[in-house]
Amino acid sequence: MSGNTAANSSVNNAGISVGNQAAVKAANWLPQAIALYKKDILAETRTRVAINSVGLFAFASLFLLTLATRGLGEVQSIRILSLPLHGITLADVEKAQIPAWTGPSKLGLLWVLLCFAAFAGLAHGFVHEEEAGTGTALRLTMNPQAVYVGKLSFNLTLLSLIAVLVTPFYMGLTGMHAGAWPAFLVVMLGGCLGLGSTATIIAVLASKARGSGALFGAIGLPIIVVFLMLLLNAANTLYNAEATTMRMVQDFGGLMSFGVLLISVSAFTFKFVWEE
Amino acid sequence: MDQAEVNAEVTGLTARNSDAEARRICIRFREVTHRFGPRSVLENISAEVHTGQVGIITGSNGSGKSTLLRVAAGLLTPMAGEVEIQVDGRTLCPDDRRSAIGLVAPDLTLYRELTGAENLSFFARLRGIDPTREMLIEALTEVGLRGRGRDMVSGYSSGMRQRLKYAFAMLGRPPILMLDEPTANLDVEGIAMVERVVAIQKARPDGGIVLVATNEPRETAWGIPLIQLEATR
Repeated sequence: MSGNTAANSSVNNAGISVGNQAAVKAANWLPQAIALYKKDILAETRTRVAINSVGLFAFASLFLLTLATRGLGEVQSIRILSLPLHGITLADVEKAQIPAWTGPSKLGLLWVLLCFAAFAGLAHGFVHEEEAGTGTALRLTMNPQAVYVGKLSFNLTLLSLIAVLVTPFYMGLTGMHAGAWPAFLVVMLGGCLGLGSTATIIAVLASKARGSGALFGAIGLPIIVVFLMLLLNAANTLYNAEATTMRMVQDFGGLMSFGVLLISVSAFTFKFVWEE
Repeated sequence: MDQAEVNAEVTGLTARNSDAEARRICIRFREVTHRFGPRSVLENISAEVHTGQVGIITGSNGSGKSTLLRVAAGLLTPMAGEVEIQVDGRTLCPDDRRSAIGLVAPDLTLYRELTGAENLSFFARLRGIDPTREMLIEALTEVGLRGRGRDMVSGYSSGMRQRLKYAFAMLGRPPILMLDEPTANLDVEGIAMVERVVAIQKARPDGGIVLVATNEPRETAWGIPLIQLEATR
C-alpha cells in the first residue's frame, strides 16, 4: 500500500463519512430548499452575476426610458370647448387619451422594464448550474421540489430587491404616483410573485434546452403576455378612483392568483423538466 | 494495494462498527436500453451486483459506460428497461435512492465559487446532516485536503477537485458508491486513497457496493467484471 498509515486509519475511523449511520432515507425537502437558498445567496454575494445583470439592465433601461419620455406630459383634462369640434366626437377625444402618459401606462412600462431585467438575470440560476456541471450534484442529492422552492425563493428575493431599488427612482423620474399605497403594494407584490414564478420555470426550461437568454425570452413570451395583461388590468384599477371593491378584488386577485397558480403548477411539473 | 493491509484496515473498521448489521443490497440492471437521437448507446443490458462486490463496467470510449452509471444513479431515465436498487429486499424509491448513492464522475462538478469546506457543508445539509467543523476537517483530511478547506474550489487543481468529489460522494456514508473514471487526474497518493475507499466500502460490515466504470487495467482488478460494453452505432 502506498498511502500513509495515519491517513488510512483516519479513513477507517470515519468511514470517510459525516455521520455514523449509512443513509438510505431521504432528507426532508424544506431543509434542502433552505440550504440551496442560502448557498445561492452566498454564491451571489461573491460573483454578483445575477444582481449585476438585473441591476445594470434595470437602471440602464430606466435611464433610457426617462430620456425617451421626458417630453411626455400626463393628460389631466381636455378643454372640449376650445377644440375645433368639426367632425370630432367625444369618443375620438377619449381615444386620443389612451396612449397618454398616465399612471397605468407608467406602471405597465415599469413592469415591462422589470420583465426584461428579470429575463436578463434570473435565468442565470439554472443555466449556470447546467453549464458548470453542478446540476448533476444537485440532482443526485436533492428532491426536485426542494430545488424548485430554493431557486424560486432566490429569484423572488432578487426580483423584490430590484423592484424596491428601481421603483422609487422610476417614480421620481417619471412622476408616477402610487395611488392608494396598500393597493399599490398589493400590485407590486403580485407582480413580483408572477414574474418571479414565470422566470423560474422558464429558466429551467431554457437550461434544459442548453439555451441562452434569447431562448429564455422566446419561451417565456406566451406566459409573460398573460402576466402583463393581468398586471395592466390591475394597474388600471389601481388608478381608477371610481373602481368598485368587486373590481379591485377581481383584478388584484387575478394578478395574485396568476403567481400562485403558476407556482402550484410548476411545483408539480418541475420534476419532469428537471430530471433527464 | 497490499491485501494484508487492506484486511487490517477492514478489521479495524469492523471492530469499530461491530454492532452494525450487514444489509442485503442489490443493484439489478434489467434489459436497460438507451439511445441518444438515432444512436443506440445501451442495448438490453442486464446484470446484478450484490453486497460486498465491486462491479466493474468496461468498454471502449463512447460505449456507454458513463451513461449506464448515470442510469444506475437515477440521473437518466432509460428508454427501456430499468435499474432496480434493493436494500434488504425493499426497492428504493427515487428519494431514498438519492441518499443511498455516492457518485464520482467527470461531469459532476462542485461549486467553484465556494470553498471546499462550504461545498461539503452545503451537500451535507442536503443529505440531512448538520455538519460540524470537526466533521468537515475530518472529511477533508480523509481525502488529503486538510488545510485547503478555506480555499475556493476555483483555485484547486484538477486532482484536488477530484479528491473533493470523493469527500462529497462519501458524505453520509452511502451504501453504494459509483465511480466513473475513478482515478482521473489523481497522483499516486490520490490513487492509493481511492483504492482504500473502494476496499473499505466493499468490506463495510453494514454492507456496501461499488460500481466502477473504467478502462484502466489497474482499476479493473479491483472487482469482478460486471458488464463489458461495446460501442454501437
